[in-house]
Amino acid sequence: MTTPRPRAVVLGSLSLFAVLFVVLALELSASASTSAGKTQAAAKARPAPAETRAAAPEPEVEEPASEYLEPEYAEPEYVEPEPEYEEVPPVVTSSS
Amino acid sequence: MIGGVPHTLATQGWWIVSRSSGLVAFVLVTISVFLGLTMAGKPVRQPGFARTMKALHEQTALAALVAIGVHGLAILADPWLKPGVAGVTVPFALVSHRFSVAAGIVAAYLALLLGLSFYFRRQIGPRLWRQAHRATLAVYLLGLLHALGAGSDTGSPLFILWVVGSGVPIACLFVYRLGAARRADERRRRAPRPGRSLPDTA
Repeated sequence: MTTPRPRAVVLGSLSLFAVLFVVLALELSASASTSAGKTQAAAKARPAPAETRAAAPEPEVEEPASEYLEPEYAEPEYVEPEPEYEEVPPVVTSSS
Repeated sequence: MIGGVPHTLATQGWWIVSRSSGLVAFVLVTISVFLGLTMAGKPVRQPGFARTMKALHEQTALAALVAIGVHGLAILADPWLKPGVAGVTVPFALVSHRFSVAAGIVAAYLALLLGLSFYFRRQIGPRLWRQAHRATLAVYLLGLLHALGAGSDTGSPLFILWVVGSGVPIACLFVYRLGAARRADERRRRAPRPGRSLPDTA
């Protein structure tokens, strides 16, 4: 039995790598072209990692407009108080 | 379909490199472990068989180390994942697939240590080296865990076929190897130790 040469293992590994590379590239591009959107296909094929999901800013939720309407503040009309007049009886002086 | 390939390579090229190299590394580790177990169990006593097995075992192990290195570098360069050096080299540093990725990192370190220890076996001592080398099976198991947990191609029928097709003979060879080691230990225990003569009663 002859001792195998290292070249055979290196060539075999490189061939396997090349075949896998081509197959995976073709598969990915095929899935991207057949689906509706390329980004959507890529996202489907490659789900977001946890840290990316965690780091993504959460969409701001707009607060719904409250139905409660504050009643308009009605300023009280200023009514000038009428001066109270005291009826003073006329003073009669006698000059006799 | 072909028109989209350059776009795919431009956007997801590193991901494809990391997937391909990871699969190549796993295949090579599987072959290397299979050959190592075959060699150690000595199921075939044909002349030259051990030499061929040893050469193939060594070459596939070295090629696996290179593939593991390419796998790590491709993940590091992936602009989408952005794991950072710590994410690729420190177990549990990457949040995504924390345990599976950690298993892969530990497997890579073990593979590097156990693989390269072959060239220092004289300094380590053949007995200790042989005992440590048995842990190579852990590289295969951790690599399998890593692939199953974090791999993108674990659902592929070819991958499942490879895992089942190689896992069953590896398990059988491991059991056979354990039995052979036990038998060898018993034989060693029964054999008279050289250099020790019976005490002179005269």
